Amino acid sequence: MSSAEAPTRAGARWLPRASIVGAFVRRDYRIVRSYSRLWIFEIFVGSLTLVTYYFISKTFGAVPVANLQGAPSYFAFAAVGVAITTVITVATASLAFQVREEQLTGTLEALTAQPVAASELALGLAGYHFLFGVARSVLYLALAGLVLGADFSQASLVGVLVCLLGTGIALTGIGVALGALVIVFKRVEALGAILTFGLGLLGGAFFPIQVLPAALETVARAVPTRLAFDSVRAALFRGEGWGGSALGLYVFALLALPAALWLFGAALRVARRRGSLGQY
Amino acid sequence: MPSPILSIRGLTRRFGDFEAVARLDLDVAPGERVALLGANGSGKSTVLRCVAGSLAPSEGTVTVAGHPGGSAAARRLTGVSLSQERSFYLRLSGRENLEFFAAARVGRRANAVRAARAVEAELELEEIAAKRVDRCSTGMVQQLAVARALLADPALILLDEPTRSLDRAAVARMWGAVDRRPAAALLIATHRDEDVQRCGRRVELG
Repeated sequence: MSSAEAPTRAGARWLPRASIVGAFVRRDYRIVRSYSRLWIFEIFVGSLTLVTYYFISKTFGAVPVANLQGAPSYFAFAAVGVAITTVITVATASLAFQVREEQLTGTLEALTAQPVAASELALGLAGYHFLFGVARSVLYLALAGLVLGADFSQASLVGVLVCLLGTGIALTGIGVALGALVIVFKRVEALGAILTFGLGLLGGAFFPIQVLPAALETVARAVPTRLAFDSVRAALFRGEGWGGSALGLYVFALLALPAALWLFGAALRVARRRGSLGQY
Repeated sequence: MPSPILSIRGLTRRFGDFEAVARLDLDVAPGERVALLGANGSGKSTVLRCVAGSLAPSEGTVTVAGHPGGSAAARRLTGVSLSQERSFYLRLSGRENLEFFAAARVGRRANAVRAARAVEAELELEEIAAKRVDRCSTGMVQQLAVARALLADPALILLDEPTRSLDRAAVARMWGAVDRRPAAALLIATHRDEDVQRCGRRVELG
């Protein structure tokens, strides 16, 4: 029996305990709260993006909306782009950033000495950012609809929430995989930025993917974020027809999240073998 | 000797060409206190990390009550204080840190709060625990690290130079807490004679 094999068993808990994930969420909330008004600025940044697209939309006035997935205006189309991009960013780059912070502050090794499974560690680190990200995206959509005049009169509220949650869960799989790379390679900020940008761009955040060159459009049809944009826009602008894309998101989550959690556990095993858990 | 809570067989840990620990065999019984001695770089911390599970051995085995070192079961039985300077959330208070690490050990929030408060009271850390960690001195943080190792009464306690920055009163409180856990085994890396005298056995490394 080699202890080099042991973390495999430690990471074998696939159903994380809610109490452990909840403890991480409370911890991260307290840390964010300790930075005066940080969360207000984070919300403000997204609102600025929203306002920017509002004025871009006004600049060009009425544009043909045939390719805008049922959106009544370009601004309404882009508002969904801002909201979903927020979820993409928090579900992917923020988790990687969080793992990196644990490395830099030296708490990663202390955490891995506790009886916490790899899946609990990964989802715990993602938890606060996931919740805050989904809440922010809902807030941006509310701002777009209630203050900036985007027409969401046909929206299915249940559909929007189901699709946003599906987006967060599906993309958390990508974020956990990115976090695994941080554990092994430490500096992956550039990859995270490219991933976040690419997932938003190719998914159709701010323009319909039909305007992309044929080769890129083919790639765009395969990225999971397209399902996110399709489903949320269908739920917001038509109030129907979102089920297929939402199902696709949840199927992707069902495949990607366990795979990413396994990868996260494997990354911890590599770091234990290398002795790099306490390094940055 | 009763069956050991900690069993180490042929433990070797290399970092590149450097062999930090070479073929170490060690059994520690429940309630036994073992001092790891040796010069700087002799591998004391490396042994503790291998037992804690944050470092995998290059060769050999570590088991805690029959569970592979580093497994969830082994970590549940083990309380750890490694290098403490960079292992707390500096923006949180000592109490918030203890509650978080207690939750990682015992799960439910109410149990975690109870466990954290118990060890805080036992080590008389109320004042320190109320401060944000980035406003604590090195010695204060070290006391929090000892408290963290004692959370939820582990069967095996690992302490890496725990008394290095502590004042006399804090040292006495720490050893008092260890004395109140006669069934717990202790593996302590130290350079201080006072700590060594508290242990029943010494193991020289390097």
